Amino acid sequence: MLIYLGRRLNLLLITLLILCIASYILAFLFPGDPLTNLSGTPSPSDDQAQQLRLMYALDEGALAGFWQYLKLTLVGEWGLSLSSQNPIFDDICQFLPASIELSLYAMFVSLLVGIPLGIIAGLNHRRISDMGILSVSLVGFSLPVFWLALLLILIFALQWGGLPMSGRVSLLYDIPHQTGFILLDIIMSNVANKQQVLLDALNHLILPTLSLSIVTSSLVIRLTRRSVINVMASDYIKAAFAKGLSRPQVFWRHGMKNALLPIMPQLAMQFTVLLTNAMIVEVIFSWPGIGEWLIQAIYQRDFPAIRGGMLAVSALVVIVTISVDLLIRMIYPLSKKQIHAQV
Amino acid sequence: MPKSSFYNEELYPSPMRHTWNEFQRNHIALAGLWCLGFFVLLVLLGPWLLPFGPLDQNTEAILLPPAWDANGDVSHLFGTDGIGRDLLTRVVHGCQITFGASLFLVLLAMLIGCSIGAYAGMSRGLRASIINHLLDAIMAIPTLLIAIIIVAILGTGLMNSMWAITLALIPQFIHHTRDMVRREYKKEYVTAARLDGASELRIFFHSILPNMIEMLVVQATMALSVAILDISALGFLSLGAQSPSPELGAMLSDALETAYVAPWSISLPGAAIFLMVLSINLVGDGLRTALKNRLSQ
Repeated sequence: MLIYLGRRLNLLLITLLILCIASYILAFLFPGDPLTNLSGTPSPSDDQAQQLRLMYALDEGALAGFWQYLKLTLVGEWGLSLSSQNPIFDDICQFLPASIELSLYAMFVSLLVGIPLGIIAGLNHRRISDMGILSVSLVGFSLPVFWLALLLILIFALQWGGLPMSGRVSLLYDIPHQTGFILLDIIMSNVANKQQVLLDALNHLILPTLSLSIVTSSLVIRLTRRSVINVMASDYIKAAFAKGLSRPQVFWRHGMKNALLPIMPQLAMQFTVLLTNAMIVEVIFSWPGIGEWLIQAIYQRDFPAIRGGMLAVSALVVIVTISVDLLIRMIYPLSKKQIHAQV
Repeated sequence: MPKSSFYNEELYPSPMRHTWNEFQRNHIALAGLWCLGFFVLLVLLGPWLLPFGPLDQNTEAILLPPAWDANGDVSHLFGTDGIGRDLLTRVVHGCQITFGASLFLVLLAMLIGCSIGAYAGMSRGLRASIINHLLDAIMAIPTLLIAIIIVAILGTGLMNSMWAITLALIPQFIHHTRDMVRREYKKEYVTAARLDGASELRIFFHSILPNMIEMLVVQATMALSVAILDISALGFLSLGAQSPSPELGAMLSDALETAYVAPWSISLPGAAIFLMVLSINLVGDGLRTALKNRLSQ
């Protein structure tokens, strides 16, 4: 296990290092002055340029330059955004939690819906209920997330008018930024009539979460169904039936755990898919998250921000994947045998 | 007189035939195949059948509802958009761009991915290990995210977004080809071929490739649906195809301003994407089940 832990941590560090190298190289590949791309100072005066060259160690060769860049990245000096002149690291710290929050809720909803439906479909393999659930999940899986979001807006926000279509909370309320997670922020703040504000924030959450979780829950259904079918066809289930256990007993005692544990990594992997979809959905719902911010940066050719945003998002995805993988290894004994890298 | 049978003839279908027979038993998948065939025909023939061009503006019929609406006109079957362009024409041209570009880039990604994957599968030692570990890290990142990052570097545009998605799809193909090659490489028929003195290249092309071509087709259909979704998502975010182009995603983002008065200009192009992806997924699912049934017999 320790060896495995070491290997995974090694992989994590190497991947993060590669990401850092890539982002450093990007500063030179992007059009324009590398110094501007690194620091975000639009057109530095001679003095400033000299200072910045010293700060980024640009004259001391590529390796020393990268080392300096790495140190600056680790302490949170990610340069300034070209368009707003805010420190990029602060911006990311402000916007990233909003995306994570949205993805977490969507993940929660899709697991809550997807796993039971997948189990029902798997237990009734090749019956009407299985076919029904499978076709619904196939439809959900084929829906383009941006179209789904637009349809939901058309139906629920424009035609029916019951749900808000943009933002995180009504503009009437001023919620101070603390953690970046809107619900936590509301609970921690001392706004008047907190209940109402919470209800408003939840109302704002419904449509984005729904459009994200429809796609993901259909993926979850498919994964769960396949796994349940495989497990129910295995020999130890037959043995359990032969012992005279009833169907629910067999499933709860022998089937459930064995069906769900192996697909945990794949289920957790859906989080990264969700995060990407969340980036699109944020643009549609004007949700102030990292996706909206990054895509604005791409429009404005704001290279320091693109570099920082790319580094933050991909680092988050890699960290989530590897730590989930580690967690699963710890609680699922069978997978401990395969210590070599796998996906 | 009963037919005499001298020979106890049994029909042994070829593997491809067998898969096709299995596939035909799944009616929903067959329907998907018909739907996909319809889209292919539409992409090939559609633009010649239509009286309008994708950028032609009819200023007398702005925001005309579809023909089935009470205010619709049959000369514009799907209605028109905010500056009087015929929606049916644009959807057909959009299918051509979105579907054609996706097909092209999936083929390209498959070609590159399979060559690297075959190389990685047949090589041993440090090289293979490095490829494996790098791949595992890259595979974890969703393709759309990689594509967005690459577009951020290359700049926006349909060509750039196609390159970006191609690059983002390659790791999946490498991964699957590598696994498959490695699995097949241990089997006895490959050992037999090796004992006969066949070179690595010959083993790959004559022994391993015929056995994995069907899995590759399944993989390609999955990649195709991902590619269509991604290319239209990039178009929608104005990172891919740019505004006047009738790419389906770009059309959707064009129609945002008139969404309230002309909901059909959002629902119809989106439905085209949805149907395309659905039919591809149906075919891919059906093929995969057919293959599994064949191999388990």
